[in-house]
Amino acid sequence: MRLGLVVDLDKCVGCNACAIACKQWNTSGTSGSLTDYRPYGADPSGVFFNRIRHYETGNYPDSKTVHFPMSCMHCEEAACVTVCPTGASYKREEDGIVLVDPEKCMGCNYCAWACPYGARELDREEGIMKKCTLCVDRIYDENLPKEERKPACVMTCPTTARYFGDFDDPNSDVSIASSKRDGQELFPELGYKPVNQYLSPRKKVEIKQHEISEPDLVRKVKDWVNKVVEL
Amino acid sequence: MHPAFSVIFFTVTSGAGYGLISLLSLLNFLNLGMLLDKNTFFITAGVAIALFTMGLISSTFHLANPKNAWRAFMRFRTSWLAREGLLAIIFYPLIILYLFLIYIDFQIDQYFFMQAYSFFIFLVSIIIIHCTGMIYACLKTIPQWNTFWTPINYITIGIFLGSLILFFIFYLNGVDVDPYKYYLLSAIVLSFFTKMSYYFSIKKHTHNIRQATNAAIKLKSTNVRLLDVGHTGGTFLTDEFGYKVAEKKLLRVKLFSIFFGFLAPFALIYTHIFLFESIIICFIAICFAFLGMVAERWLFFAQAKHVVNLYHGAQNV
Amino acid sequence: MATKQDKISFKKDAFGKNASKLPEFENHKQQTQKNTTCYMCACRCGIKVTLENNKIRYIQGEPTHPVNKGVLCAKGNAGIMKQISPARLRQPMMRKPGAERGTSEFVPISWDEALDMLTERLQKIRETDPKKLAFFTGRDQMQALTGLWAQQFGTINWAAHGGFCSVNMAAAGLYTTGFSFWEFGDPDWDKTKYFMLWGVAEDHASNPMKMGINKLKERGGKFVAINPVRTGYQAVADEWVPIKPGTDAMLALSLVHVLLKNELFDWEFLVRYTNAHYLVVDTPRKKGDGLFLRNNEGVPQSWDLEKECLVNATDPKIKPALLGKYKAADGTPLKTVFTIMTERYLSDEYTPENASKICGVSAEQIEKIALELAHVAFKESIEVETEWTDWTGRKHDKFIGRPVSMHAMRGISAHSNGFQACRAIHFLQVLLGSVDCPGGHLAKPPYPKHVAPPIKPGKKVVPGQPLESFPLGFPTEPEDLAIDDEGNPLRIDKAYSWEAPIANHGLMHMAITNAVAGDPYEIDTMIFFMANMAWNSTMNTTKMRENLCAKNEDGEYKIPFLVVCDAFDSETVGYADLVIPDTTYLERYDTISILDRPISEPHAVCDSIRAPILEPDRDVRPWQTVLVELASRLKFPAFTSDNGERKFKDYKDFIINYEKSPGVGFLAGWRGENGENSLKGKPNPKQWEKYIENKCFFEYKLADNHKYFRGANKDYLEFAKKSGFNASSEPIIIELYSEKLQKFKLAGMGLYDGPQPKKERDQFRLSRFFDPIPEYYIPLEHRCTFSKAFPFYAITQRPMFMYHSWDSQNAWLRQLQAHNYMHMNKDKGEELGIKDLSWVWVESNTGKIKVQVKLMEGCQSDTLWTWNAIGKQKGKWGLSDDANESTKGFLMNHLINEHLPCADTGSPVTNSDPITGQAAWYDLKVNVYPAADDEQFGVYPNFEAAKNLPGRPETKDVLRYNTKKPVRLSRSLIDILTKGGFEK
Ligand SMILES: Nc1nc2c(c(=O)[nH]1)N[C@H]1C(S)=C(S)[C@@H](COP(=O)(O)OP(=O)(O)OC[C@H]3O[C@@H](n4cnc5c(=O)[nH]c(N)nc54)[C@H](O)[C@@H]3O)O[C@H]1N2
Ligand SMILES: Nc1nc2c(c(=O)[nH]1)N[C@H]1C(S)=C(S)[C@@H](COP(=O)(O)OP(=O)(O)OC[C@H]3O[C@@H](n4cnc5c(=O)[nH]c(N)nc54)[C@H](O)[C@@H]3O)O[C@H]1N2
Ligand code: SF4
Ligand code: SF4
Ligand code: SF4
Ligand code: SF4
Ligand code: SF4
Ligand SMILES: [Mo]
Repeated sequence: MRLGLVVDLDKCVGCNACAIACKQWNTSGTSGSLTDYRPYGADPSGVFFNRIRHYETGNYPDSKTVHFPMSCMHCEEAACVTVCPTGASYKREEDGIVLVDPEKCMGCNYCAWACPYGARELDREEGIMKKCTLCVDRIYDENLPKEERKPACVMTCPTTARYFGDFDDPNSDVSIASSKRDGQELFPELGYKPVNQYLSPRKKVEIKQHEISEPDLVRKVKDWVNKVVEL
Repeated sequence: MHPAFSVIFFTVTSGAGYGLISLLSLLNFLNLGMLLDKNTFFITAGVAIALFTMGLISSTFHLANPKNAWRAFMRFRTSWLAREGLLAIIFYPLIILYLFLIYIDFQIDQYFFMQAYSFFIFLVSIIIIHCTGMIYACLKTIPQWNTFWTPINYITIGIFLGSLILFFIFYLNGVDVDPYKYYLLSAIVLSFFTKMSYYFSIKKHTHNIRQATNAAIKLKSTNVRLLDVGHTGGTFLTDEFGYKVAEKKLLRVKLFSIFFGFLAPFALIYTHIFLFESIIICFIAICFAFLGMVAERWLFFAQAKHVVNLYHGAQNV
Repeated sequence: MATKQDKISFKKDAFGKNASKLPEFENHKQQTQKNTTCYMCACRCGIKVTLENNKIRYIQGEPTHPVNKGVLCAKGNAGIMKQISPARLRQPMMRKPGAERGTSEFVPISWDEALDMLTERLQKIRETDPKKLAFFTGRDQMQALTGLWAQQFGTINWAAHGGFCSVNMAAAGLYTTGFSFWEFGDPDWDKTKYFMLWGVAEDHASNPMKMGINKLKERGGKFVAINPVRTGYQAVADEWVPIKPGTDAMLALSLVHVLLKNELFDWEFLVRYTNAHYLVVDTPRKKGDGLFLRNNEGVPQSWDLEKECLVNATDPKIKPALLGKYKAADGTPLKTVFTIMTERYLSDEYTPENASKICGVSAEQIEKIALELAHVAFKESIEVETEWTDWTGRKHDKFIGRPVSMHAMRGISAHSNGFQACRAIHFLQVLLGSVDCPGGHLAKPPYPKHVAPPIKPGKKVVPGQPLESFPLGFPTEPEDLAIDDEGNPLRIDKAYSWEAPIANHGLMHMAITNAVAGDPYEIDTMIFFMANMAWNSTMNTTKMRENLCAKNEDGEYKIPFLVVCDAFDSETVGYADLVIPDTTYLERYDTISILDRPISEPHAVCDSIRAPILEPDRDVRPWQTVLVELASRLKFPAFTSDNGERKFKDYKDFIINYEKSPGVGFLAGWRGENGENSLKGKPNPKQWEKYIENKCFFEYKLADNHKYFRGANKDYLEFAKKSGFNASSEPIIIELYSEKLQKFKLAGMGLYDGPQPKKERDQFRLSRFFDPIPEYYIPLEHRCTFSKAFPFYAITQRPMFMYHSWDSQNAWLRQLQAHNYMHMNKDKGEELGIKDLSWVWVESNTGKIKVQVKLMEGCQSDTLWTWNAIGKQKGKWGLSDDANESTKGFLMNHLINEHLPCADTGSPVTNSDPITGQAAWYDLKVNVYPAADDEQFGVYPNFEAAKNLPGRPETKDVLRYNTKKPVRLSRSLIDILTKGGFEK
């Protein structure tokens, strides 16, 4: 299995629901708590596993804004794992989820250095590296109703811009979405083979224009040409 | 990358320490051990051990969870950091045994065994410096580090610093070996040129924002710009990777490090050898070299730009 | 949500293997789940709250809920942080004796003291002059209760925030189609193929809009966004139309121009469902001009094309002329409504070329959009096979849909030409026939209502008596205005006066100013509930803060007593004489009623409740309970039995037993003694329990033949009457031509037999702006602001993850945005020498602010904009004094005046839409220039830090919320030492 997410940049409106759902779920989940620093003071900041950035391309008035959520890509060539000296970071063989064993982590940040996607964040209070777990504590929880065994961010996304599933299964949502819309990995040059994929903004939908003949309503008004319509 | 003092101190001192020990073992291997009397030999070895031990200890200072530091060599199979750690740990019994054998004038089958052991120590210490370099060089995420010049720099600079210390000790002990003088000057020149090659090479290694996002955004337009990072108060990522220094300052530090790290030591040692022998000059050369190398290491970090910055507004790294 | 995902399951063996390797993370046995309704904003999604150790483990969307179907927005997901906010009020408080108002110095008092004090004061007012109580409510959603309370108290001075929010949208809809954008209508997300979004950043329909955009995109429909700024929704639009603020009416009517010119409109729709064929008296500048020709019974007349004579326009058997000029029996010249429309909209004024000059949108783009609209409406029409009967009794075997839909909100609403602009957008829909049809803009029951809803504003204030009707209603002629014989306003906010005749929601933004000026009179007590009137919900904030503290010569405050009911330490709380601390939304009972702003879906009548999830840990009470308590103490008739005893024990009891009319109460579900009735029925003592059982909502699905064309759908109209939605089952006729507006216009022209304005200014405003069919006019502030001095438009947008001022106290949400920037077009900024992220001065006619600027591409060249309500007063909202909200965050409101900055108005006149009194926030014009080098940090204006409230908890530098010790993941040592298969 290769579990991961597909994020549709054509639908993401940048609402941050997924980012906060992630924060909410995980703060009492296996990686909890996700510390917040200066929560009510200057420059508030805290541990997040999923962040949304916003970009622009092109120039006014043909510019385009793109909202861009990023969390762990659960890379196949996860250098964050190979560089980890303690073995705290690992990639599960059975499903490819990249995790951190907090009991073993020494907080050296090295894995965060090795991650090109900014997916790892040190919890300074605990001295432990944390990251997106693909909600491993939801998706395998047999006590949750089946339809809720999904990542928190996917469940909450109001535009359904996020899909979750097994990329090895050609019938999964992620495989279908990705093949239909030519899913892209981020920064392929680096060779990490990220599992998560992005669907690019679509080409503009083109609508036909109504065919028009010689406009003649002006004349009709003048000549009081009416069409008989029964009330 | 944010230059953490503990890491700068670690790489400079441990490099010098392993450099020095590698030279001592090399001398033995080359049958030149008698250049130093036994006492001085042990003092020198002590200095080397102290240097890399200090370095190792200081490296744990930047750990957020040092109580797990002992686990650091578990993943030697894949991690250069673990390899460095593991070798550093293994090195202790090896070097202690080695020094012990020398201390007791170990005789059995002496020639070949001790010769081999010396070479082994030499090799391991160089490999350790190589591992330190590889910790940085293996990161594809930091183009300025991800070059083979990185470990070469670490090795040549480690040897250069070790050589300088050894020269000083030679001088203190009145050992006067002509070839060594030339060797030392060439070690300086070599490390200088490898460092310059590094500076030259990192200019080529860059990534840009288009690479980082374009596969996904895939729009015709040519430019992608950050509109909003989405978190106004800063994040772990901006703290850890957002370190920015003005180009001017970088240049100044670069000139400083070249001057104090290479030019000044070269000039001073040259003066000492050919013009005006003085212990003070020698000492100053060592201080300058260390100072220069601290600056060089600072620069090594400050100049390095993590690719995650591309997502935070950098147009290239 | 994609349902396909439900199908993924992990390979059985793999699953088993994994499961055995993973620990049990959640102990579900120690968790409980309860449902309630979110109130992190007014979208009112259903939520399922999981509790663990008496703390909230997790809030998630309720999958079966009609509004959000399981999803939650960022705010909804951050409810935990609202519940633990240090800014929560903790007990009733009184201004410290001797302390000045506004210094935030308070002493705690008991509930008994607070209620006694309030009762005594209110009793006196009620017995002498009830209008001396002004009661205004902000972002609340229980206007049915607060309105009833005010009516029973007997004051006309009650309104909710609608007057500064969206009354233009509500009014334009209710005076045109009988429902509206805003909350009374929705695009048919399931079928629409072309969607136009006018001036919306987030809207009340937060989650539904996002879910809808997904559906549209999945269907391959086109999304056109009309907005000066490209962020949020506009980012995913297929086409972005960067319009100049305040010019949408022109754009919409220019689209109308193109449609008319090419005869691209729905003849049948116009004739059957609108008043387009009505005959209008055409006697310019004479009495009676512009009114419908009516027969002796008052029935409007039409010209029958076959009979060639005048006929009753509403007679089902006629074949009326849509176009043409005719004559009445007495020779009075007449023309049809549609003729008036074509004359106006086909004129040169509305050509795309002319519109292009005004809107900054190219003529080609306008032409193209119009033709696309027509194509989708007429060439891609859809059919829903259902038998239905129209109001004439004719049977149809299908509903024909024109799958074009639109939604509009504050970008239209917050301009002084917003009412007409919104009507113009409705005109577009009507021409295309996309009103309440499959794929079009659908009404949400209990809407549509008759145009306009038959409720008149209450006027007569009698000491000790309730008002004869609700304070707010829908005037249809000058006689309905709340003015005295001299023509002076009766209400403190001057709603329903000549200044704002159709002010259906009041003018909350004028309440403080007028009360302080004693114009039209002085008041005694002002109550603000859930409104931050000393900060982000007021115009001219600096001035308003002074106003709240203004004193008479005798040292008495001009607003003698100010009561603030809030749940949090807002800026306004600082000005209270008495603070009534409310519960949070997770701690109380609430009703979201169809008598108010319903949560209905287009095809389902819905309402919902809140039920407490947590016990308050502070000495706070729900405001509703307090209102019922006060009403009982003050012996309001509706709250008192015939024997003089109090009628309702508490709020819960009130909701169960109160009946607005027999069988109609606040909650429509499970009525009848045993809960057997829906919509109408006797009170059910177990009604709350039934709601709680049903996840806190009630959903009554409409029958298939009730779903569309409801204004003309016989069965639906009868159903609506039976259910108490409408008083009659007569068809609801879409009023393209508003005779109601014309009457006001005639009054302005001195041609009306009835009340007429005396002031020249009012005469001008009525005759100029009360056009019976929409037109574009320049927003009022722009008319009197020199564009040379103030060349930029300045507007705000709501961030999707923050609700007004509420969420800066939220430790998670404020990480996303603790301060805001002023955004402007990059090229324009550079042209003016303004650098990205530098500090600039922004200046208006009213004041100036110093702010940090951010340059961007996706911004109309002449527009500045910022996120709304991010700036905060130092010391408020539980934040430290160095919080970014007060050091770098700012409000646009300091620049916006509550009066028009024009010299020619005689006396000051409200900066609002002249028809509805809707606050014209986005008419602001400003200038911008770089701040000096030594000014390159810190916002202006700055206010003194507020004192901490008594009992405010210390906040720590580190917050680690969780409900339990985490069950950790672990990796075995063997694994660490031996595995490594994936590294290559
Ligand atoms: N997250 C969140 N949701 C909210 C609220 C909140 O504070 N936060 N507030 C609630 C309330 S009270 C309200 S009233 C609604 C309002 O919801 P919206 O209608 O979405 O209100 P605004 O954010 O003011 O968005 C106005 C949009 O109109 C654009 N605009 C401004 N002037 C013009 C113009 O002249 N023409 C056009 N075409 N566009 C223009 C602006 O750029 C902006 O995008 O949201 C409700 N929902
Ligand atoms: N510049 C500019 N100004 C604007 C707007 C704009 O677009 N631009 N928009 C305007 C619009 S449309 C609106 S609706 C207003 C909104 O303005 P307001 O209605 O004033 O909304 P809020 O600022 O959210 O403040 C309402 C108060 O409700 C309190 N509150 C929150 N929850 C509860 C609760 O459960 N109980 C009680 N009792 N109180 C609670 C909050 O603490 C806050 O003090 O702002 C207006 N102001
Ligand atoms: S919840 Fe969905 S739409 Fe919102 S930011 Fe996340 S991915 Fe985008
Ligand atoms: S995204 Fe980063 S943390 Fe996640 S697997 Fe890839 S490299 Fe590792
Ligand atoms: S921070 Fe922890 S997980 Fe990351 S590399 Fe260091 S020990 Fe491994
Ligand atoms: S999968 Fe779970 S942990 Fe990962 S980003 Fe989504 S919510 Fe967060
Ligand atoms: S839109 Fe968000 S904040 Fe508003 S009610 Fe729904 S979940 Fe709550
Ligand atoms: Mo609003």
